[in-house]
Amino acid sequence: MSRRKRFALNVNQNSTFTLSIASMTDMFTLLLVFLLQNFATSSVEIKPQQNLALPTSNSYKNPILSVQISVSTDDIKVNDKWVARIQNRDIASADVDPQDTNFIQPLFKELQAIAADPNVKKEEKNQIMLQADQNLPYQTLRKVMYTASMAGFPQVKLVTVLGN
Amino acid sequence: MKKLKIHSTSDLELDLASLLAVIMKLVPVLLLSSAFMQVMEIDTELPQAVTQAIDKQVQENKKNMILEVDATRKVTVTLDINGQKSTYSVPGIESQIDHAKLHSLLQQIKQKNPDIFKIDFAPDSKVTYKEVVSIMDEARRSRDEKVRFPVKNDKTGQQIMTDYMFPEIVFVNMMEG
Repeated sequence: MSRRKRFALNVNQNSTFTLSIASMTDMFTLLLVFLLQNFATSSVEIKPQQNLALPTSNSYKNPILSVQISVSTDDIKVNDKWVARIQNRDIASADVDPQDTNFIQPLFKELQAIAADPNVKKEEKNQIMLQADQNLPYQTLRKVMYTASMAGFPQVKLVTVLGN
Repeated sequence: MKKLKIHSTSDLELDLASLLAVIMKLVPVLLLSSAFMQVMEIDTELPQAVTQAIDKQVQENKKNMILEVDATRKVTVTLDINGQKSTYSVPGIESQIDHAKLHSLLQQIKQKNPDIFKIDFAPDSKVTYKEVVSIMDEARRSRDEKVRFPVKNDKTGQQIMTDYMFPEIVFVNMMEG
């Protein structure tokens, strides 16, 4: 008799080991219901930006396709493209027109380029979706809105998080 | 008489393996496409009757309402009806906006003037974006479900009740330096 056979456990070959998965199925069903509730239905993808906390509001309208401007505590981006700096919760002086302190030159150039781009959809061209940090002063946002309206984007949609 | 013998110890076991396999495939798909943060935008889409009433107010231009917020978070509402001005104010509490009083004041103004839908909004430069959005929230809709305002549909002649107070908000000091 070989050594392996001598020390082998006496296991009944006919018995089958059944794993009870009922509790696991319960857990996954709960998870499935939760995920179905949170399923994204909006057609517009909004990427969360760094150093940008959106304010809460009781508005429940889903965003529609438009040019996205994000104003964080560090910078301004247009459709995820960096355009200007924010210093001390205001637009950096180097990016502002010295003749008109409300006018943000790089933002204007970028928006004008979007307006002139034939590949950009028509419905996207006259409105902007503004994502801004909730602690930024109105002074900073006013400059962004002013520049956007000068570049041919008079309709501003304020992006918020659903809250109370 | 023969009796049926039932084995009380026997269990009916449902095979859940296939169900679990389906769920396991669905979970990663839903995890990837779920929105855990619901991002919304402050809407401008309104019921037809309300939109018509806003257009009428803009065309007639006889009633004007200005809402100003100063650096101390004092909110001043100036109502101009056919050249007759009246001013209301809600002082701030420890440099915070008194939302409850502001909402109550706006409800009272709306009840007296149900045909006003537009606000000219002029916040101070130091007012934060969060506060701007909160004031817009207070002004747009009535929070109290019992308080509703009548709007007449010019086309059908029917009167409907709406919770919209001042949904049209225009930033009037955008061009100021």
